[in-house]
Amino acid sequence: MEKNIKILVVDDFATMRKVVRNLLKQAGYENIVEAEDGVTALRVLKSQKVDFIISDWNMPNMTGIELLKAVRADDDMAKMPFLMVTAEALQDNVIAAVKAGVSNYIVKPFTSEILNEKIVKIMEKIG
Amino acid sequence: MSYETLINLLNEMASDFMFLDGAEIDVPAAGKFMNHLDKIAGKAAEANVDHVREVTTGLNILLEKIIFDTLQDKGAGLSVLGEGISLLQSIVDGYTNSGRYDGNIHIFADKISSLTGVPGVKTGDANDLPATSDSVEKATVPTEEAAGAEINAVEKANIPAAEENQMQDESLLRDFIAEGLEYIEEIEINILNLEKNPEDKDYINAIFRPFHSIKGVASFLNLDQIRDLAHNLESLLDKARNGELEIKPPVIDVVLDGADALKTLIGQVRDKLEGRIGKPLDLDISSLVERIKNVEKGGGEPSRTKKIGEILLEDGHLTRQSLEEGLKIAETFPNKKLGETLINEGKVTTRQVSQALRKQAEQVTDTSSIRVDTRKLDDLIDMVGELVINQSMVQEDLKNQVNADRNLVRDMSQLFRITSGLQGISTSLRMVPIKQTFQRMSRLVRDLAKNSSKVVNVELLGEETEIDRNMVDEIYNPLVHMVRNSVDHGLEKPEDRIKAGKPEGGLIRLKAYHRGGSVVIEISDDGKGLDKEKILGKAIKNGVVATGEGLSEQDIYRMIFLPGLSTAEKVTDVSGRGVGMDVVRRAVEKLRGKIDIDCVPGKGTTFSAGFPLTMAIIDGMIVKVGSQYYILPTTAIRQALRPRKEDYNNVVGKGEMISVMGKLLPLVRMYSLFGIQPERENPWDAIVLVVEGENRSKCLLVDEIIGKTEVVIKSLGNGLGKIKGVSGGAILGDGRIGLILDTEGIFELSETVGSIN
Repeated sequence: MEKNIKILVVDDFATMRKVVRNLLKQAGYENIVEAEDGVTALRVLKSQKVDFIISDWNMPNMTGIELLKAVRADDDMAKMPFLMVTAEALQDNVIAAVKAGVSNYIVKPFTSEILNEKIVKIMEKIG
Repeated sequence: MSYETLINLLNEMASDFMFLDGAEIDVPAAGKFMNHLDKIAGKAAEANVDHVREVTTGLNILLEKIIFDTLQDKGAGLSVLGEGISLLQSIVDGYTNSGRYDGNIHIFADKISSLTGVPGVKTGDANDLPATSDSVEKATVPTEEAAGAEINAVEKANIPAAEENQMQDESLLRDFIAEGLEYIEEIEINILNLEKNPEDKDYINAIFRPFHSIKGVASFLNLDQIRDLAHNLESLLDKARNGELEIKPPVIDVVLDGADALKTLIGQVRDKLEGRIGKPLDLDISSLVERIKNVEKGGGEPSRTKKIGEILLEDGHLTRQSLEEGLKIAETFPNKKLGETLINEGKVTTRQVSQALRKQAEQVTDTSSIRVDTRKLDDLIDMVGELVINQSMVQEDLKNQVNADRNLVRDMSQLFRITSGLQGISTSLRMVPIKQTFQRMSRLVRDLAKNSSKVVNVELLGEETEIDRNMVDEIYNPLVHMVRNSVDHGLEKPEDRIKAGKPEGGLIRLKAYHRGGSVVIEISDDGKGLDKEKILGKAIKNGVVATGEGLSEQDIYRMIFLPGLSTAEKVTDVSGRGVGMDVVRRAVEKLRGKIDIDCVPGKGTTFSAGFPLTMAIIDGMIVKVGSQYYILPTTAIRQALRPRKEDYNNVVGKGEMISVMGKLLPLVRMYSLFGIQPERENPWDAIVLVVEGENRSKCLLVDEIIGKTEVVIKSLGNGLGKIKGVSGGAILGDGRIGLILDTEGIFELSETVGSIN
C-alpha cells in the first residue's frame, strides 16, 4: 500500500502528537503534519492536500467530533479518511462519531501494528 | 395516514444494505445504518406505527456490537440486519394496507438477543422502552473497571518487545513530564475558578481535558500509576460534567489532592530519568483512588469528625439501641437534627447534647491550621504596629532621663526584642506565596499565545516568594499589562524567530525574589528587544529630548515609560487598547513600586517591577512645615534642593516657578495650602522637593527635611472622611503625629487654590 500518504495528526497534547508520529513512522509513514486543535486542523486542510486525518476526541476550541462534522460538511472532504482516537470509557462518543461519519476509531493505547491495520483498511476501502 | 416518507426511508436503507453485497459491515456503513434507523424510528413514532421502535432498538444494539467488534458471528450479524430491514418493511406494509401489523416480532427479537447476548430486547409497548434501552446500555457498555481491565490486557498482550524501546523513548518521557506538569498547573488554576463558579461547565471541561490527555499519554508510556490515577480523576469529572455529580468542596479537595499526587508521580518519573534516586514516595495512591471513588459515589469525604451520635454513645449517655431508634425517627424528619430528636424523645438531656456538640467542634478545629478573618488579622497587625511605636517612645523617654533605673533599662531592651519579634511574626501572617498570581499569568500567556498565533513557553521562578495578601490583587493588573506587552510586542512571530536563528517557541520568564524590603518581579522575553533608534526618534519628535547626546542606552529604553512613546506599530487585540508602558509605570508607582527595563538587542527584554512587601508600611521622607510634620512617600520624590535666588521666577499667567535642571516647574507653598505659619518663606532659604504626580512634576516648598523613616500607615478614622492631599497618618518615633501626603491630591489642591486666587 501507498505509504507516502500525507497524514494529519490532530491532538492538543504535544507529547501525544509525538507518540502518534513515532508509531506512524514505525509503520512506515513519513509524511506527517500536525495540528493542535480542530481550528488549526481546518486551516491546515485548507492550505494543503491531506490524505488522512487522525484526530483526538477531546480538544479545546473544537472537539474531534466537531472537526469531523466540519470535514464531512465540506464537499471536497466528505470522503476524507478520518480516524478518531478515543479513550476506553467513552463509548457514547464512539457511537456519536460513527453516526457523524468517522472512517474508524482507535482506542488508546495502541501499537503501530494496530494503527497501521486501521489505516490500511480505511485506505483500501476508498481505493 | 400516508406512510410514504417511512417507506422511502426504509427503501434507502434497504438499498444501502444491498450495496454491501455481502461484505463486512465496516464502521462507516454501521454509522450510515444507525442514522437510517434513527430517522426511521423517529418517523414511525410520528406516524404511530408500533413495533418499529423495538426492531430499530434491536438493530442498533447489533450495530453497536459490530462497531465495538464484540460480535462473535459476523456473518449472522449481516443476515439479521437484512432480516430486520425486511421486517421493518413488512411492518410498514401492514400499516399501509390495513393500518396495523399483525405479524410476530418476537422471533426476531429473540434472534437479536441470542446473537448479541443482550437479553431483554422486549417487544412490549412503547412505554417500556426507556427502561429497556437503559438495561441494554448497561449490558453493552462495559463498566469502567472492566474497560480498564480490558485495556490492561490489550496493553500487555499487544506490546511486543520492539515497541518497548519506543515506549521508553527518553525524549517522549521528557516531553510528557514538561507538558504534563504544565497541564497540572492549568488544572490547579481552573479548579480554583471552578470553586468560585461550580456550575460552569467550561471549567469542568478545562479540568477534565488535561487529566484525559495525561491518562492517554501515560497509557502509551506504560506509566500505570499515573494512568490509573488520571483515569479515576477523569471519570469523576466526567460525572460532574454530565451533571451527575455536584461540585462540592470534597470534590474540589480530592481533585486538588489528585493533581498534587500526579505532580509527585511525574516528578518521580523525572527523577528516575535523570538517574536521581527519587525520594521514597510518601504517597498512598490506592487510598487516594479510594477517596476519589468515594466522592464519585456522592458519599463525600470520609468524615474526619465524629458524628454527634457516636460521641453521645462513647460518653455513655446513649445506648446503641436508642441511638438507632433516634436515627430512624430523625430520618422521617429530615429538617430536624439528630440531637434535637434525641432530646425530644427523652433519650438524652439538652446538656449532654450541648457537651457533645462542643466536643465535635473541638475536633473540627483540631488541625494544624485555622482560618482567621482577615479583618482580625489586620487589626492585630495594626495593634502590633502601635505597640512597637509606643515601645520606642518609652525607650526614647528613658534615654532622656539622666538617672534612669538600670533594671528598667535592661527590662526595656528585653521588651524591645519581644516587640520586634512580634512585629516580624505579625507581618508574616499576611504573607502568601506569589505562586497563584504567577500561575494566573502563565495561563494568560497561553491564551495570548494562542490568540496571536505564537508559540510561547513559560518559565516560572521563585514562585514561593511571599508577598502581602493585600498586594496580590493590587499588582495583578500592572503585571497583566507587562505580560501582555511581552507576549505581543516582545516576542517575534514564529517565522521571524526561525529567520533569526532562534527556536520557534518564544520564552516568557516570570521571576520573583526579595530584595531589601521589596519584592521584585521580573518579566523577561527572549524576543528581538526594543528598537532604540525608533524610541529616540519618537522622543525627539515629541520634544522630550533635543538630541540623543549624552543618553545611555538604558536612558533611551527607559523612555518607553513616558507618555506617548509606545513603539508598537499597530494596535493589536492583545496589548492594544491604548495602554502604553507609561500607564503601567503609573500603576506600579501608585503602589509605591518602581519599574525598570533592561534590554539586549536581539536577545530579549526584561521588565522588572519592585513592589513594597506590604501596603501597610510606607517608606517616607519626614518634612517639617512650621511646627507640623508631614510624610511624603520616598518614591514620589525625585530631588530635594535649595534653589538659588535666580532660579525663582514668577511667570505671568502661570504663577511661581522654580527652574530645576533647565526646566521650569510650578512651586507649591505647603504652608499656604495648609494655612500654617512657616519658619521660612523664601524658597532660597528653605527646601524645595521635586515631586512627581501622575503626569506632571511640581516643587513643594517645605521648611526642612527631618529624615527618612518607615512608618505604619493609619487611616484618619471615619470621622474625618476623605481629606484631599492627605492619604493617612502615622505616629512618628518621638510620638508626634505626621500626616502622610498624597502628591496627586496636593497637586490638585494647589491647582484649585491657584484658580481661586
